[in-house]
Amino acid sequence: MRSRRFPATALVVRRAAALTLRAATFVVCAATTLRAQDTEPDRLARLDQNSRITIQILLDSAEAAGLPARALRSIALEGVSKKADSRAIVSAVRQEFTLLRTARATLGPVDPEELTAAAALLRAGAKPAQLASFRVRQKGRSDLQAFTIWADLITRGVPSEDASSAITKLWEDGADDATFVSLWNNVQSDILRGLNPGTALQNRIRETPGRPPATKGPPEGQQENERSE
Amino acid sequence: MSDDAADVQRVLAGDVDAYAALVDRYYDRCARFAVRMLGNRDDAEDALQATFLRAYRALNRYQERDRFSAWLYRILVNQCRSVAARRAHRERVFVREEAVLLNTPDRTPVWSGEDEEFVQRVLTELDPLLREAFLLKHIEELSYEEMSALTGVGVSALKMRVKRACDRLRERWERIKHD
Amino acid sequence: MTDSDQLHPYVEWIIREARRPVVSDAEARDRVMAAIHAEPVPRRIGVWQRIFAPRVFSLSPVTGALLAAGLVGIGVIAGVFTSNRDGRASVEQPPVAQVVRPAVSDTVVKFVISLPRAQQVSLVGDFNDWDVAKTPMARSAHGGLWTVTLPLSAGRHVYAFVVDGSSWIADPSAPFAPDDGFGHANSVKIVGRGSSL
Repeated sequence: MRSRRFPATALVVRRAAALTLRAATFVVCAATTLRAQDTEPDRLARLDQNSRITIQILLDSAEAAGLPARALRSIALEGVSKKADSRAIVSAVRQEFTLLRTARATLGPVDPEELTAAAALLRAGAKPAQLASFRVRQKGRSDLQAFTIWADLITRGVPSEDASSAITKLWEDGADDATFVSLWNNVQSDILRGLNPGTALQNRIRETPGRPPATKGPPEGQQENERSE
Repeated sequence: MSDDAADVQRVLAGDVDAYAALVDRYYDRCARFAVRMLGNRDDAEDALQATFLRAYRALNRYQERDRFSAWLYRILVNQCRSVAARRAHRERVFVREEAVLLNTPDRTPVWSGEDEEFVQRVLTELDPLLREAFLLKHIEELSYEEMSALTGVGVSALKMRVKRACDRLRERWERIKHD
Repeated sequence: MTDSDQLHPYVEWIIREARRPVVSDAEARDRVMAAIHAEPVPRRIGVWQRIFAPRVFSLSPVTGALLAAGLVGIGVIAGVFTSNRDGRASVEQPPVAQVVRPAVSDTVVKFVISLPRAQQVSLVGDFNDWDVAKTPMARSAHGGLWTVTLPLSAGRHVYAFVVDGSSWIADPSAPFAPDDGFGHANSVKIVGRGSSL
């Protein structure tokens, strides 16, 4: 919004707020999150009318089926931003609809976040049957991290079956988010060092405990993903 | 004398099969209105059956100066209202199996089966009075005067209903746009 | 209001679609004629009878309204969707204009990437509609690190970096999100509800 039209203003604001990080944070937050939905033009309007209508139908069908239309809309906007061909955009949205629907059929009534994570996992190449273990819900336990790591491993070249059995076993053993993230960190660096992805996973799985020892969780609030390469 | 009037005369003269010509001529068009109005085929068929039966029974009151289609539509609109009133307690949602969406290849033209389902869903969500006016005006393409004679509602009220229906449809578009 | 009012293209499209013929069941038509044949043949009535015959369609506005009131249920009922295989009926949310403020439950997240040779870097993702203009990143004074901090709601977020306006790259320090169909993988960030990474 404003940072788009007055970039200089945003910079000035940031510099002036260097006094406290918190002040800077809130100003940047306000600039980026105030979306003024009612006055902002609809970026999907850039598409030709046929495509626009087809996507609208898919959004509507998603709502009708209780699937997160927001996820479909996000895909469409990604395509618009990437200046993709409108046929590709429609196809991508249609595919996401199908994946969400399959995810719903596989997992049952889970919240939208888990559906989109599961859809991404299916998109990466996991089979619906492999997600069956995750249907049984434990209170307070989220499979977002597990699904994310799983999808990443397949994307990096770990054979689908290997990834499936590894993640499922960890999950069934009660592994928490930190365990999955730690596994991913290790496997990723091994792959980057040149190890075969399937082998890397096998190695690390062997040394990863299922049920984690009792430790206190990571601190709340600000997160950093800083990594020097 | 129009074909319709001629056929009516033949029926009144005792040629029952002449009525089949009228049915053939108008069934599909009436079916379109009934399906769009009621949202599903079963109810539409009931309404159509009742319509053509009533029209048959009332044939001797049809006057040549009226357009047969308008006369028939009056019966049709009322029959649709009756069916709807009788079925109001039942959940009737026009949801077709979405296999079409799943099996659609990339090169599908826009106008595929999912569109009809979508359009029907959108229409069904309109208030019935607005839907009726909208369908008569824009789908059946009747004049406001014809619509008034048919429904017993004044022209300005009908115009307002049609406008409101269009507004609702547009609002729905806006709403999905902003998720 | 006149008949020649311009219709919204979306409404025009609906009209075009709705005008498509509905194919009727041949058997249904046969059933109509079968019922007709079971009826007494209507006889032409004389002038006097016609004058005194009751008007067939005396549906007064009041009666019509009452019947239509019964119809209101249809529109309401049709709003409840029957895809209840999972036991959950979803109801459409009413449209609400919202000003998006960082919610209390949002977590402030910092995104960092090292791109010493870049002139300009933006963060795009599902939290800003993938809009390249919305979240420009700031270059640190030394070392070629680009950063931005923003609040994200709890859950899963997909994002990427756009370098110099045109190159989309994933975050090397984050798990991949598979290609959405546009030729590149994105990155995933899971924002915990007060816990996890």
